[in-house]
Amino acid sequence: MLAKPLLEDILLAGLSTGGDFAEVFVEDRFSTILSMIGGKVDSGVSGRDYGIGVRILKGTNYVYAYTNDYSRDNLIKVAKEAAAAISPETISRNITLSFMKDEPLLINPIRIYPHEIVKQDKVSLMARAYHAAKEYDPVISQVMVRYFDEDQKVQIANSLGLYVEDQRVRTRTAITAIASKGPEKQSGTYAPGAHMGFEFYDNIKIEDYAQEAARIATTMIHAPYAPSGRIPVIIDNEFGGVIFHEACGHSLEATSVAKKTSVFADKLGEKIASSVVSAVDDGTIPNAWGSLNVDDEGHVSQRNLLIEAGVLKGYMVDLYNGRRMNVPATGNSRRQSYKFAPTSRMTNTFILPGSHTREEIIASTEYGLFARYMGGGSVNPATGEFNFAVNEGYMVRNGKLAEPVRGATLIGQGSDVLLKIDMVADNLACGQGMCGSISGSLPADVGQPTIRVSEMIVGGRKGDK
Amino acid sequence: MEVKVFAEKLFAAGREMGFDAMEAYVASRNLFRVGVFKSEIDSYTLAQSRGLSFRGLINGRMGYSFTENLSADSVALLVDDARANAAVIDSEDPEEIFGGSPEATYADICSFSPALEQVLAAEKITWVKEVEQKAYGLDVRVSTVQVSLGNSSGETMLMNTKGLNLAHQGNFADGYVAAVVKEGEDTKSAYAFFSSRDFSRFDPATLAKEAVEEAISLLGAASIESGQYPVLLRHDVAGEFLATFASSFSAEAVQKGLSLLKDKQGEQIMSSNITIIDDPHMPERPNSAPFDAEGVATAAKEVVLAGRLMTLLHNLKTAKKDGVNSTGNAYKMAFNAPVTVAPTNLYIQPGKRDYADLVAHIEHGLIIIAVQGTHSGANPVSGDFSLSAYGYLVRGGQVVRPVNQVTIAGNFFKMLSDVQEVGNDLHFKMGSIAAPSLLIGSLAVSGK
Repeated sequence: MLAKPLLEDILLAGLSTGGDFAEVFVEDRFSTILSMIGGKVDSGVSGRDYGIGVRILKGTNYVYAYTNDYSRDNLIKVAKEAAAAISPETISRNITLSFMKDEPLLINPIRIYPHEIVKQDKVSLMARAYHAAKEYDPVISQVMVRYFDEDQKVQIANSLGLYVEDQRVRTRTAITAIASKGPEKQSGTYAPGAHMGFEFYDNIKIEDYAQEAARIATTMIHAPYAPSGRIPVIIDNEFGGVIFHEACGHSLEATSVAKKTSVFADKLGEKIASSVVSAVDDGTIPNAWGSLNVDDEGHVSQRNLLIEAGVLKGYMVDLYNGRRMNVPATGNSRRQSYKFAPTSRMTNTFILPGSHTREEIIASTEYGLFARYMGGGSVNPATGEFNFAVNEGYMVRNGKLAEPVRGATLIGQGSDVLLKIDMVADNLACGQGMCGSISGSLPADVGQPTIRVSEMIVGGRKGDK
Repeated sequence: MEVKVFAEKLFAAGREMGFDAMEAYVASRNLFRVGVFKSEIDSYTLAQSRGLSFRGLINGRMGYSFTENLSADSVALLVDDARANAAVIDSEDPEEIFGGSPEATYADICSFSPALEQVLAAEKITWVKEVEQKAYGLDVRVSTVQVSLGNSSGETMLMNTKGLNLAHQGNFADGYVAAVVKEGEDTKSAYAFFSSRDFSRFDPATLAKEAVEEAISLLGAASIESGQYPVLLRHDVAGEFLATFASSFSAEAVQKGLSLLKDKQGEQIMSSNITIIDDPHMPERPNSAPFDAEGVATAAKEVVLAGRLMTLLHNLKTAKKDGVNSTGNAYKMAFNAPVTVAPTNLYIQPGKRDYADLVAHIEHGLIIIAVQGTHSGANPVSGDFSLSAYGYLVRGGQVVRPVNQVTIAGNFFKMLSDVQEVGNDLHFKMGSIAAPSLLIGSLAVSGK
């Protein structure tokens, strides 16, 4: 971490050509990745990322510079180069910075730091997961377990006098089970994680997740291909929330709203979803995977209402895009590391509970697809077109779950699918994902109760209906 | 601290701790990137970074660690971490720190252009603004344009206690033009990607036109009836498919049971008009290098020849396990990642027919110009895919209208066993994997 007088000098060098805002982000991160295949640890890597990012704004002009040479001379040089890029003139100004140290509300307390646990204990955890998945069914031919933890310390200071230190500890274990039948292979994955230390594994039973991964693979290896066509789709709770994340969430980030490249730009107060849909982005859930104490601009994390009863209520906004939109930042500014300039991103984003139950939704569906587990997806924010994969699907016939089906992809248009959500259940749950966008790959929770979309395009391989 | 001095200290500390053989792998990089939005610079990045990855054999196991902080106090941390990581390894596959390939086998590849370093930031800013202006000027329906241009230079060094001391320098420039067009409520977007070591090749008018014309051509797109259709995968889409399923050719994936190509060497796995080459010596490409991530000399190879699988891609560990030689395909995703296996510049050899000729060949079918969601809708282990796609409907050899909101589904290997024609339009635009346009006999298309 850097001393305050040096931070001040960097900020002043950054403002030396007339910039109106300067910010320094210092990151010191220790991380460990262990991978196990076939019950044996085949690689272990740990290490330290360390670097400094300097950002300068002048109106809506924007310069970002980063380095991991942390000598005073180099940092001042980098700040001056960045300043020269924002404007060629030199302005002599008398600025005094008085940092107000913010003590961020610690919403993600950590009990057991990664370095306090010996590697062998991490490996024992992985072995438990491996055995639980491998022994689930004879068709499970391979199991991969990947363990990850990180301890990221950051220091954020800006020319408005903000000074914040924060420490983020995250833990995650991903289990992938592969089922084989002749030449065919199908996989199932579960990857629980939290903004928490090793105590996370006291709260959950890793075997349950491993068995669930194995159950998905086992179910899918015996499943025929999904049909194609436009049919009702029930999307189950937890990771099913990836639909909202892709279909709507990305298009509510200021990154695309400020430039009006989003389909939801200029739509505040308008009905953009069916009236059974309310949704939030909430970075304040204690120890959730996507939660923050402060965001990467040093703003305190918030719970932001996005949609209320179908009406668009708010966007996720960072400081820079807030300038274009003329609104304050919402605690959503995030970056993968000092190698990325921060921008508006999701934290934990989910649809709020409704009044139905999962059973009622299935019972009232004559024919359709039930998506038990979703894979990842993506969206084009300009057109709103999204796609995502169904990892475990079932046909629904006459109000009952029927045979499992594999290989289904759901596609559609965000603005369209939100209006077609006609039932929302009461069983809200969240799942963990890594979300990729211009400021890098970030931990984010997606979530929802079980929902039904009255009609969606299901892309399968079987031509029948 | 100077890298070589740091490495010496590191090796000394490692010897003391009981490491038998050690390696320091250092990647340093300088980067510049500028983006413009409505004539204002809305992103401008200047960066310098350097990272060191350490690995070493201790009690027969390989331990890894890394740091971006090359100060004296990092030395102890690196060897401690690597020892702790080695201690939990229980894979029995032997690993090695490499003593070097015969000197003459390291190709002389020039990946650095001094001229590119001479292009001033001001010239690049002017260029980006010009592209933006040209794109807005092409059509009144253009609503937003985003242009980004960047260049980077870097050096990779590999030093080990077996006496190997390698270094390779390179630089490169790339970027994109993104155009969004609107007609009433209908919004469409398209990208033009470009990359080269020669800045003068980037023509503002051509790139602006490419992005805008494609976006305009998609206005009015609609879905089509579900069914089986002949499909022309445009070169960029064919390349994306190859990239998505390239891990199938990795011996590591095969050995771990994650590829369908187990025991398939010498067998016909694709149509006889498909030849796939991995060439690490292409002078124009940023991935080209004389040595791989373990220091093994690289060489070009036919992976698939006339549809037959000729070789898998190997690093030292997978080669030893299979009793063959490394193909020079050891790879690190980043300086701090463990060594795996990956192609360098992988491509399908172009055929004779040009794109227009292939279109003229289609009686009633589709041209696919983009697929989405390859990270989730495609399974590299099984080869199965079901992907959101868009493009054009073709009847009687003529493009009739744009098509969107469809998915195409199938299996990668079955699809490449049904290639009717191979185009001559091989272009490396983004990334290091490319293919010419491929006309597929039949694919499942889901729409209305």
